[in-house]
Amino acid sequence: MISDIVNVILCLGNCVLLVNLRRMRLEKCWFCSSTVYPGHGIQFVRNDAKIFHFCRSKCHKNFKMKRNPRKVKWTKAYRRLHGKDMTQDSTFEFERKRNRPERYDRNLAENTLKAIKKIDKIRSDRASDHIKNRLKTGKVQRQKEARKQLELGIHLVKAPLALAQDSSLCLPKIKAMCPKHRQKRISPWKSEIGFAVPRLGIFVHQNLMHATRGLNYQEVFYVVSSGLEF
Amino acid sequence: MIQPQTHLNVADNSRARELMCIREAVPNTPLERSEVITAVIISTRKELKRDNGMIIRYDDNAAVVIDQEGNPKGTQIFGAIARELRQLNFTKIVSLAPEVL
Repeated sequence: MISDIVNVILCLGNCVLLVNLRRMRLEKCWFCSSTVYPGHGIQFVRNDAKIFHFCRSKCHKNFKMKRNPRKVKWTKAYRRLHGKDMTQDSTFEFERKRNRPERYDRNLAENTLKAIKKIDKIRSDRASDHIKNRLKTGKVQRQKEARKQLELGIHLVKAPLALAQDSSLCLPKIKAMCPKHRQKRISPWKSEIGFAVPRLGIFVHQNLMHATRGLNYQEVFYVVSSGLEF
Repeated sequence: MIQPQTHLNVADNSRARELMCIREAVPNTPLERSEVITAVIISTRKELKRDNGMIIRYDDNAAVVIDQEGNPKGTQIFGAIARELRQLNFTKIVSLAPEVL
C-alpha cells in the first residue's frame, strides 16, 4: 500500500495527482466503466475489503439492486462482452494500473501529457472504426432487402413518363398571384463612393452611376460587365 | 448514522459480539454481557465525506472495544477500517487492522 505522502506522480492513462499530501487516482466505475474523477461518485467497501467505485448514483443504485453489469445494455462491460466495442488493442496497454510511483521528472511529465492526448485520439479513432465496420454489414443487408422489395413490388411503381401523362396521378397546376407586399424587395445600399446591391453582387461606383441611372438591375449588369473605364 | 440504540458489529476478537450504542464516550468496565463498555466505531453504512471529495461507505456498522486510553481490548481486528482513525490517534487499532481504507 503506497504511503499517502508521496511526490507528484504522473502515470500514463491512470493519473495519480498530489493534492493536499494525499494521492488521488482516476478510478473506473465498477458498473459502467467510466472514469471517476476526484470529487465524484461513491466508494463502497465490502466486508471482505473489496472496494467498488461508482461514478454516479445510477451505477450505485444498480449495484445495490444486484444487477450484473454484463447484462445491462448501456455498460461498457456489456458492450465489450457482446463485441459492440473494441476489446483488444495495443492502446489499452497504456492504461493498465500501475502501483509503483515514479519519481517526478518534468520531462517525463511533459511527454506523458502529450502522449496521453495522442493515444486518446488513436484509441478513439480505432474504436469508431470498429463500430463502423460492425455496422457495414447491416447497411449492405438493408440495400439488398430494398432491391429485392423493389423487384417484387415493381408493379406498384409507375414510370415517370406514365405519371406525367396520367392526369389522375398529378396535382393540377394553379396560377396564383403573389401579393405585392410579399414580393421581396431588393434594396440597394448607398454610400459615398457608389451604391451596392450585395444580394445580387452588384457594386456600382459613383462614376458609373451616371451611366446606370434609370436602368434596372439586369441592364446594370450589362453595363458593368462591358467594362467601362471610370 | 450511529445513534443510541444502534446495534454495532464488533470487529475484534474481544468476546463481545454485538454492541448497542447508548451514548458517546462512556467510562470502561470489565467485559461482560450487557456491560457498558467503550468502543470506537471503525466503519459505518452511512457515507463518510473526506476532504479530497471522496465519499466512502462500508458494508456494516462495526466497532472495536477499547479501554480508557483508546487501546483495543482484543488482539485482532477484522475487516477494513476507516482512515480517519489514524488522525484521531487510534494508532494501535490502525496498526492491527488488516486494511485501512
